[in-house]
Amino acid sequence: MTKIFSSILILLFINSLQGFSQKKAEVWRYEGPRFGIDLSRFLMPYMQKGKRSAWEVQADVPYKGNWFPTFEFGMQSFNDQRDGFHYKNNGTYARLGVDMNIVKFESLKDHDFVFIGARYGYSLFNQQTDGISYTNYWGALNSSIPSRTMNAHWAELVFGMKGELFSNFFLGWTLRAKFPLAVTSDPNIKPYIIPGIGKTSNGVPFDFTVGIYYRFPIFRTKTLPKVIKMGGNTHPGEVDPNDPNNPRNSGNSQYGSGSMRNGGQ
Amino acid sequence: MRYIQIVISLFIFVLLSCNDGNRCYESVDTLMVGSFSINGFKPINNLIINGVNRNGVGDTLVNDTLSTLTKRYTFPLSLTSDSTGFVLKANGIKDTLYVRHTLIMSFISENCGFAPNYIISGFRYTAGIDSVKVTDKKVNPKSIEKLTNDQNILIYFNSAVH
Repeated sequence: MTKIFSSILILLFINSLQGFSQKKAEVWRYEGPRFGIDLSRFLMPYMQKGKRSAWEVQADVPYKGNWFPTFEFGMQSFNDQRDGFHYKNNGTYARLGVDMNIVKFESLKDHDFVFIGARYGYSLFNQQTDGISYTNYWGALNSSIPSRTMNAHWAELVFGMKGELFSNFFLGWTLRAKFPLAVTSDPNIKPYIIPGIGKTSNGVPFDFTVGIYYRFPIFRTKTLPKVIKMGGNTHPGEVDPNDPNNPRNSGNSQYGSGSMRNGGQ
Repeated sequence: MRYIQIVISLFIFVLLSCNDGNRCYESVDTLMVGSFSINGFKPINNLIINGVNRNGVGDTLVNDTLSTLTKRYTFPLSLTSDSTGFVLKANGIKDTLYVRHTLIMSFISENCGFAPNYIISGFRYTAGIDSVKVTDKKVNPKSIEKLTNDQNILIYFNSAVH
Protein backbone atom coordinates (compact mmCIF):
# COMPACT_ATOMS: atom_id res chain seq x y z
CA MET A 1 0.00 0.00 0.00
CA THR A 2 2.86 2.28 0.90
CA LYS A 3 4.50 1.40 -2.40
CA ILE A 4 1.35 2.32 -4.33
CA PHE A 5 1.02 5.59 -2.47
CA SER A 6 4.67 6.52 -2.98
CA SER A 7 4.40 5.64 -6.71
CA ILE A 8 1.41 7.95 -7.08
CA LEU A 9 3.34 10.72 -5.33
CA ILE A 10 6.31 10.26 -7.67
CA LEU A 11 4.05 10.32 -10.69
CA LEU A 12 2.37 13.50 -9.48
CA PHE A 13 5.79 15.09 -8.89
CA ILE A 14 7.03 14.16 -12.37
CA ASN A 15 3.80 15.40 -13.84
CA SER A 16 4.16 18.71 -12.03
CA LEU A 17 7.77 19.01 -13.29
CA GLN A 18 6.61 18.36 -16.84
CA GLY A 19 3.95 21.00 -16.42
CA PHE A 20 6.56 23.44 -15.20
CA SER A 21 8.91 22.67 -18.09
CA GLN A 22 6.06 22.95 -20.61
CA LYS A 23 5.40 26.51 -19.54
CA LYS A 24 5.98 28.12 -22.91
CA ALA A 25 8.97 30.41 -23.41
CA GLU A 26 8.01 33.55 -25.23
CA VAL A 27 8.65 33.41 -29.00
CA TRP A 28 10.37 36.43 -30.45
CA ARG A 29 11.51 37.27 -33.93
CA TYR A 30 15.13 38.41 -33.85
CA GLU A 31 16.48 40.73 -36.47
CA GLY A 32 19.66 42.69 -36.95
CA PRO A 33 22.49 43.56 -39.29
CA ARG A 34 23.92 40.62 -41.20
CA PHE A 35 27.57 40.41 -42.23
CA GLY A 36 29.05 37.86 -44.56
CA ILE A 37 31.65 36.90 -47.12
CA ASP A 38 31.23 35.83 -50.70
CA LEU A 39 32.68 32.32 -50.97
CA SER A 40 32.45 32.24 -54.75
CA ARG A 41 35.25 34.86 -55.03
CA PHE A 42 37.64 32.30 -53.56
CA LEU A 43 36.56 29.72 -56.13
CA MET A 44 37.08 32.00 -59.13
CA PRO A 45 40.80 31.20 -59.59
CA TYR A 46 39.88 27.53 -60.07
CA MET A 47 37.02 28.18 -62.50
CA GLN A 48 38.39 30.80 -64.87
CA LYS A 49 41.54 31.54 -66.84
CA GLY A 50 44.33 33.79 -65.67
CA LYS A 51 45.73 34.24 -62.19
CA ARG A 52 43.04 35.76 -60.05
CA SER A 53 42.55 36.59 -56.44
CA ALA A 54 39.50 38.22 -54.98
CA TRP A 55 37.47 38.69 -51.84
CA GLU A 56 34.18 40.36 -51.05
CA VAL A 57 32.37 41.19 -47.84
CA GLN A 58 28.67 41.93 -47.69
CA ALA A 59 26.31 43.44 -45.14
CA ASP A 60 22.61 44.10 -44.96
CA VAL A 61 20.21 45.53 -42.43
CA PRO A 62 16.50 44.66 -42.28
CA TYR A 63 14.11 47.55 -42.73
CA LYS A 64 10.41 47.05 -42.10
CA GLY A 65 10.87 43.30 -42.27
CA ASN A 66 11.00 42.81 -46.02
CA TRP A 67 13.53 45.38 -47.16
CA PHE A 68 17.28 44.86 -46.82
CA PRO A 69 19.52 47.84 -47.63
CA THR A 70 22.79 46.24 -48.68
CA PHE A 71 26.44 47.23 -48.90
CA GLU A 72 29.11 45.13 -50.57
CA PHE A 73 32.83 45.79 -50.77
CA GLY A 74 35.54 43.78 -52.47
CA MET A 75 38.90 43.57 -54.17
CA GLN A 76 40.05 41.71 -57.25
CA SER A 77 43.37 41.27 -58.99
CA PHE A 78 43.86 39.65 -62.36
CA ASN A 79 47.07 38.65 -64.09
CA ASP A 80 46.77 37.16 -67.56
CA GLN A 81 49.80 35.98 -69.54
CA ARG A 82 48.81 35.32 -73.14
CA ASP A 83 50.52 34.83 -76.48
CA GLY A 84 51.43 38.33 -77.52
CA PHE A 85 50.63 40.28 -74.35
CA HIS A 86 50.62 40.27 -70.57
CA TYR A 87 47.67 42.02 -68.89
CA LYS A 88 47.43 43.04 -65.25
CA ASN A 89 44.45 44.58 -63.54
CA ASN A 90 43.66 45.14 -59.88
CA GLY A 91 41.35 47.31 -57.89
CA THR A 92 38.58 47.66 -55.36
CA TYR A 93 34.85 48.07 -55.73
CA ALA A 94 31.74 48.78 -53.72
CA ARG A 95 28.05 48.28 -54.30
CA LEU A 96 25.12 49.91 -52.60
CA GLY A 97 21.56 48.76 -53.04
CA VAL A 98 18.52 47.11 -51.58
CA ASP A 99 16.94 43.67 -51.64
CA MET A 100 13.22 43.09 -51.34
CA ASN A 101 11.78 39.87 -49.94
CA ILE A 102 9.13 38.41 -52.26
CA VAL A 103 7.92 35.45 -50.17
CA LYS A 104 5.87 35.18 -47.01
CA PHE A 105 7.62 34.41 -43.73
CA GLU A 106 5.78 31.40 -42.34
CA SER A 107 6.43 32.05 -38.65
CA LEU A 108 8.30 34.34 -36.30
CA LYS A 109 11.20 31.87 -36.41
CA ASP A 110 11.26 31.74 -40.22
CA HIS A 111 13.97 33.93 -41.70
CA ASP A 112 14.43 32.17 -45.08
CA PHE A 113 13.64 34.51 -47.92
CA VAL A 114 13.78 34.93 -51.67
CA PHE A 115 14.57 38.37 -52.95
CA ILE A 116 14.98 40.63 -55.90
CA GLY A 117 17.20 43.64 -55.64
CA ALA A 118 19.13 46.39 -57.33
CA ARG A 119 22.64 47.72 -56.88
CA TYR A 120 24.72 50.68 -57.93
CA GLY A 121 28.39 49.76 -58.24
CA TYR A 122 31.61 51.74 -58.45
CA SER A 123 35.06 50.35 -59.15
CA LEU A 124 38.47 52.03 -58.99
CA PHE A 125 41.23 50.00 -60.58
CA ASN A 126 44.59 50.01 -62.36
CA GLN A 127 45.42 48.23 -65.56
CA GLN A 128 48.70 47.69 -67.29
CA THR A 129 49.76 45.74 -70.35
CA ASP A 130 53.28 44.78 -71.29
CA GLY A 131 54.93 42.32 -73.62
CA ILE A 132 52.71 43.36 -76.54
CA SER A 133 54.22 41.84 -79.67
CA TYR A 134 53.07 42.02 -83.28
CA THR A 135 54.82 41.09 -86.53
CA ASN A 136 54.06 41.96 -90.13
CA TYR A 137 55.87 42.46 -93.47
CA TRP A 138 57.85 45.40 -92.06
CA GLY A 139 59.15 43.67 -88.97
CA ALA A 140 58.21 43.24 -85.33
CA LEU A 141 56.86 45.62 -82.75
CA ASN A 142 57.31 45.14 -79.02
CA SER A 143 55.56 47.64 -76.83
CA SER A 144 53.75 48.14 -73.57
CA ILE A 145 50.97 50.31 -72.18
CA PRO A 146 51.87 51.89 -68.84
CA SER A 147 49.73 51.52 -65.73
CA ARG A 148 46.65 53.69 -65.67
CA THR A 149 44.01 54.31 -63.02
CA MET A 150 40.48 53.89 -64.31
CA ASN A 151 36.99 53.70 -62.89
CA ALA A 152 33.65 52.21 -63.76
CA HIS A 153 30.04 52.73 -62.75
CA TRP A 154 27.38 50.11 -63.23
CA ALA A 155 23.94 48.94 -62.18
CA GLU A 156 22.91 45.44 -61.19
CA LEU A 157 19.71 43.48 -60.99
CA VAL A 158 19.84 40.77 -58.38
CA PHE A 159 17.81 37.65 -57.71
CA GLY A 160 18.67 35.36 -54.82
CA MET A 161 17.86 33.48 -51.68
CA LYS A 162 19.10 33.43 -48.11
CA GLY A 163 18.29 30.62 -45.72
CA GLU A 164 19.04 30.29 -42.02
CA LEU A 165 21.16 27.17 -41.69
CA PHE A 166 21.17 27.34 -37.91
CA SER A 167 20.58 30.08 -35.39
CA ASN A 168 21.76 33.40 -36.92
CA PHE A 169 23.95 31.71 -39.55
CA PHE A 170 22.77 32.07 -43.13
CA LEU A 171 23.73 30.61 -46.48
CA GLY A 172 22.69 32.47 -49.60
CA TRP A 173 23.23 32.83 -53.28
CA THR A 174 22.54 35.51 -55.88
CA LEU A 175 22.36 35.65 -59.63
CA ARG A 176 23.24 39.07 -60.99
CA ALA A 177 22.90 40.84 -64.32
CA LYS A 178 25.28 43.79 -64.61
CA PHE A 179 24.79 46.83 -66.76
CA PRO A 180 27.95 48.93 -67.24
CA LEU A 181 26.98 52.61 -67.26
CA ALA A 182 30.33 54.35 -67.68
CA VAL A 183 33.89 53.09 -67.95
CA THR A 184 36.99 55.26 -68.37
CA SER A 185 37.88 55.08 -72.03
CA ASP A 186 41.33 54.16 -73.21
CA PRO A 187 42.38 54.29 -76.87
CA ASN A 188 44.69 51.30 -76.45
CA ILE A 189 42.77 48.83 -74.40
CA LYS A 190 39.25 48.73 -73.10
CA PRO A 191 39.48 46.93 -69.74
CA TYR A 192 38.25 43.41 -70.35
CA ILE A 193 38.02 42.62 -66.66
CA ILE A 194 36.63 45.16 -64.22
CA PRO A 195 36.71 44.43 -60.49
CA GLY A 196 33.11 44.08 -59.37
CA ILE A 197 31.74 43.61 -62.89
CA GLY A 198 33.87 40.83 -64.33
CA LYS A 199 34.40 40.30 -68.03
CA THR A 200 33.14 43.10 -70.19
CA SER A 201 33.28 41.23 -73.50
CA ASN A 202 29.60 40.36 -73.09
CA GLY A 203 27.17 43.26 -73.26
CA VAL A 204 25.48 42.28 -70.01
CA PRO A 205 27.87 40.32 -67.78
CA PHE A 206 26.23 37.80 -65.45
CA ASP A 207 27.62 36.77 -62.09
CA PHE A 208 26.82 34.22 -59.44
CA THR A 209 27.71 34.54 -55.78
CA VAL A 210 27.45 32.19 -52.81
CA GLY A 211 27.86 33.67 -49.36
CA ILE A 212 27.74 32.80 -45.70
CA TYR A 213 26.44 35.35 -43.23
CA TYR A 214 26.08 35.94 -39.54
CA ARG A 215 23.20 38.02 -38.19
CA PHE A 216 23.65 39.98 -35.01
CA PRO A 217 20.28 39.53 -33.28
CA ILE A 218 20.04 43.05 -31.92
CA PHE A 219 16.34 43.76 -32.39
CA ARG A 220 13.41 41.58 -31.42
CA THR A 221 9.78 41.78 -32.33
CA LYS A 222 6.60 39.77 -32.17
CA THR A 223 5.32 41.12 -35.45
CA LEU A 224 5.63 39.04 -38.56
CA PRO A 225 6.41 41.22 -41.60
CA LYS A 226 3.52 41.48 -44.01
CA VAL A 227 3.97 40.21 -47.53
CA ILE A 228 4.71 43.03 -49.93
CA LYS A 229 1.82 43.34 -52.34
CA MET A 230 3.12 43.27 -55.90
CA GLY A 231 -0.20 43.72 -57.70
CA GLY A 232 -0.97 47.33 -56.82
CA ASN A 233 -4.38 48.56 -55.63
CA THR A 234 -7.47 46.45 -55.96
CA HIS A 235 -9.98 47.45 -58.58
CA PRO A 236 -13.32 48.92 -57.58
CA GLY A 237 -15.61 46.04 -56.69
CA GLU A 238 -12.70 43.58 -56.33
CA VAL A 239 -12.38 41.73 -53.02
CA ASP A 240 -9.04 42.11 -51.23
CA PRO A 241 -8.10 38.75 -49.67
CA ASN A 242 -6.10 40.52 -46.90
CA ASP A 243 -8.96 42.82 -45.99
CA PRO A 244 -10.42 41.91 -42.55
CA ASN A 245 -13.82 43.08 -43.81
CA ASN A 246 -13.60 40.60 -46.62
CA PRO A 247 -16.47 38.11 -46.05
CA ARG A 248 -14.14 35.31 -47.22
CA ASN A 249 -11.97 35.96 -44.15
CA SER A 250 -14.83 35.80 -41.62
CA GLY A 251 -16.02 32.62 -40.00
CA ASN A 252 -19.67 32.86 -41.16
CA SER A 253 -18.90 33.49 -44.75
CA GLN A 254 -21.64 33.15 -47.33
CA TYR A 255 -18.91 31.89 -49.68
CA GLY A 256 -17.96 29.05 -47.35
CA SER A 257 -14.45 27.72 -46.90
CA GLY A 258 -12.49 24.56 -47.41
CA SER A 259 -9.76 23.03 -49.46
CA MET A 260 -9.69 21.66 -52.96
CA ARG A 261 -7.59 18.64 -52.04
CA ASN A 262 -10.52 16.27 -52.49
CA GLY A 263 -11.16 17.39 -55.98
CA GLY A 264 -13.08 20.48 -55.10
CA GLN A 265 -16.43 18.67 -54.80
CA MET B 1 13.37 25.53 -48.99
CA ARG B 2 16.97 24.60 -48.24
CA TYR B 3 16.89 21.66 -50.64
CA ILE B 4 15.68 24.00 -53.38
CA GLN B 5 18.52 26.36 -52.60
CA ILE B 6 21.13 23.66 -52.84
CA VAL B 7 19.77 22.24 -56.10
CA ILE B 8 19.43 25.62 -57.80
CA SER B 9 22.86 26.63 -56.52
CA LEU B 10 24.51 23.59 -58.03
CA PHE B 11 22.66 24.04 -61.32
CA ILE B 12 23.75 27.64 -61.76
CA PHE B 13 27.26 26.81 -60.62
CA VAL B 14 27.57 24.21 -63.36
CA LEU B 15 26.11 26.60 -65.94
CA LEU B 16 28.57 29.34 -65.10
CA SER B 17 31.50 26.96 -65.13
CA CYS B 18 31.25 26.64 -68.90
CA ASN B 19 33.60 28.89 -70.87
CA ASP B 20 34.33 29.59 -74.50
CA GLY B 21 37.88 28.22 -74.79
CA ASN B 22 40.97 29.84 -76.21
CA ARG B 23 40.15 30.39 -79.86
CA CYS B 24 40.47 33.69 -81.64
CA TYR B 25 37.57 34.34 -84.01
CA GLU B 26 38.45 37.89 -85.01
CA SER B 27 40.93 39.26 -87.53
CA VAL B 28 44.17 40.74 -86.21
CA ASP B 29 45.66 41.43 -89.68
CA THR B 30 45.70 45.15 -90.25
CA LEU B 31 46.05 45.89 -93.96
CA MET B 32 45.41 49.08 -95.90
CA VAL B 33 43.16 48.56 -98.92
CA GLY B 34 44.31 50.44 -102.04
CA SER B 35 42.73 50.68 -105.46
CA PHE B 36 44.68 51.66 -108.62
CA SER B 37 43.62 53.08 -111.95
CA ILE B 38 45.04 55.32 -114.66
CA ASN B 39 42.05 57.29 -115.84
CA GLY B 40 39.30 54.70 -115.97
CA PHE B 41 39.81 54.05 -119.70
CA LYS B 42 43.47 53.07 -120.01
CA PRO B 43 44.26 49.59 -118.64
CA ILE B 44 47.00 48.71 -116.19
CA ASN B 45 48.73 45.86 -118.00
CA ASN B 46 51.02 44.87 -115.15
CA LEU B 47 51.64 46.01 -111.59
CA ILE B 48 54.54 45.09 -109.30
CA ILE B 49 54.65 46.51 -105.77
CA ASN B 50 57.48 46.27 -103.21
CA GLY B 51 58.19 47.98 -99.95
CA VAL B 52 60.87 50.69 -100.17
CA ASN B 53 64.26 49.07 -99.48
CA ARG B 54 62.63 45.67 -99.55
CA ASN B 55 64.11 44.00 -102.64
CA GLY B 56 64.86 40.54 -101.32
CA VAL B 57 63.33 37.26 -102.37
CA GLY B 58 59.79 37.09 -101.06
CA ASP B 59 59.58 40.85 -100.52
CA THR B 60 57.29 41.49 -103.48
CA LEU B 61 53.84 42.43 -102.27
CA VAL B 62 52.09 42.39 -105.65
CA ASN B 63 53.04 40.89 -109.01
CA ASP B 64 50.00 41.20 -111.24
CA THR B 65 50.32 40.68 -114.97
CA LEU B 66 46.64 40.65 -115.79
CA SER B 67 45.49 43.67 -117.79
CA THR B 68 42.57 45.42 -116.07
CA LEU B 69 41.20 48.97 -115.79
CA THR B 70 41.37 48.96 -111.97
CA LYS B 71 43.26 46.89 -109.44
CA ARG B 72 42.72 46.48 -105.73
CA TYR B 73 45.21 45.16 -103.17
CA THR B 74 45.91 45.18 -99.46
CA PHE B 75 49.16 46.47 -97.93
CA PRO B 76 50.81 46.22 -94.53
CA LEU B 77 51.94 49.48 -92.96
CA SER B 78 55.08 50.04 -90.92
CA LEU B 79 54.97 49.25 -87.21
CA THR B 80 58.03 51.28 -86.23
CA SER B 81 57.97 54.33 -88.51
CA ASP B 82 55.36 57.08 -89.05
CA SER B 83 55.43 56.58 -92.81
CA THR B 84 55.44 53.59 -95.10
CA GLY B 85 57.00 53.62 -98.58
CA PHE B 86 55.97 51.53 -101.56
CA VAL B 87 57.64 51.18 -104.95
CA LEU B 88 54.93 50.85 -107.60
CA LYS B 89 55.87 49.60 -111.07
CA ALA B 90 52.83 50.00 -113.31
CA ASN B 91 53.08 49.35 -117.04
CA GLY B 92 56.87 49.23 -116.58
CA ILE B 93 57.16 52.71 -115.04
CA LYS B 94 58.45 52.98 -111.49
CA ASP B 95 56.97 55.36 -108.90
CA THR B 96 57.28 55.74 -105.17
CA LEU B 97 54.43 56.41 -102.76
CA TYR B 98 54.90 57.29 -99.09
CA VAL B 99 51.89 57.02 -96.78
CA ARG B 100 52.12 58.99 -93.55
CA HIS B 101 50.22 57.58 -90.59
CA THR B 102 49.89 57.42 -86.85
CA LEU B 103 49.82 54.08 -85.07
CA ILE B 104 48.09 52.89 -81.97
CA MET B 105 48.10 49.29 -80.75
CA SER B 106 44.53 48.37 -79.97
CA PHE B 107 43.19 45.47 -77.94
CA ILE B 108 40.98 43.09 -79.92
CA SER B 109 40.12 40.41 -77.37
CA GLU B 110 41.79 38.30 -74.72
CA ASN B 111 42.09 35.39 -77.15
CA CYS B 112 43.26 37.46 -80.13
CA GLY B 113 45.47 39.99 -78.39
CA PHE B 114 46.44 43.30 -79.95
CA ALA B 115 46.45 44.64 -83.51
CA PRO B 116 47.70 47.91 -84.97
CA ASN B 117 45.22 50.67 -85.81
CA TYR B 118 46.41 53.43 -88.14
CA ILE B 119 45.13 56.83 -89.13
CA ILE B 120 46.34 57.96 -92.54
CA SER B 121 47.50 61.56 -92.33
CA GLY B 122 49.06 62.31 -95.72
CA PHE B 123 51.04 61.23 -98.80
CA ARG B 124 54.15 61.95 -100.78
CA TYR B 125 54.60 60.55 -104.28
CA THR B 126 56.58 60.85 -107.50
CA ALA B 127 55.46 62.34 -110.82
CA GLY B 128 54.03 59.13 -112.30
CA ILE B 129 51.22 59.28 -109.78
CA ASP B 130 48.59 61.87 -110.57
CA SER B 131 46.73 61.94 -107.25
CA VAL B 132 45.83 59.92 -104.17
CA LYS B 133 42.38 60.13 -102.66
CA VAL B 134 41.55 58.97 -99.14
CA THR B 135 38.16 57.33 -98.82
CA ASP B 136 38.68 55.97 -95.31
CA LYS B 137 41.59 57.20 -93.24
CA LYS B 138 41.14 54.54 -90.56
CA VAL B 139 43.10 51.34 -91.18
CA ASN B 140 42.31 48.55 -88.75
CA PRO B 141 41.68 44.78 -88.76
CA LYS B 142 38.18 45.41 -90.15
CA SER B 143 39.56 47.17 -93.24
CA ILE B 144 40.07 43.92 -95.13
CA GLU B 145 36.33 43.28 -94.82
CA LYS B 146 35.59 46.24 -97.10
CA LEU B 147 33.39 45.54 -100.10
CA THR B 148 35.09 45.16 -103.50
CA ASN B 149 34.12 48.69 -104.54
CA ASP B 150 35.46 50.22 -101.32
CA GLN B 151 38.99 50.94 -100.11
CA ASN B 152 41.13 53.15 -97.86
CA ILE B 153 42.95 54.98 -100.65
CA LEU B 154 42.49 55.44 -104.41
CA ILE B 155 45.71 55.89 -106.43
CA TYR B 156 45.41 57.47 -109.86
CA PHE B 157 48.44 57.04 -112.13
CA ASN B 158 49.36 59.87 -114.45
CA SER B 159 47.92 58.92 -117.87
CA ALA B 160 50.52 61.05 -119.67
CA VAL B 161 53.34 59.05 -118.10
CA HIS B 162 51.72 55.60 -118.10
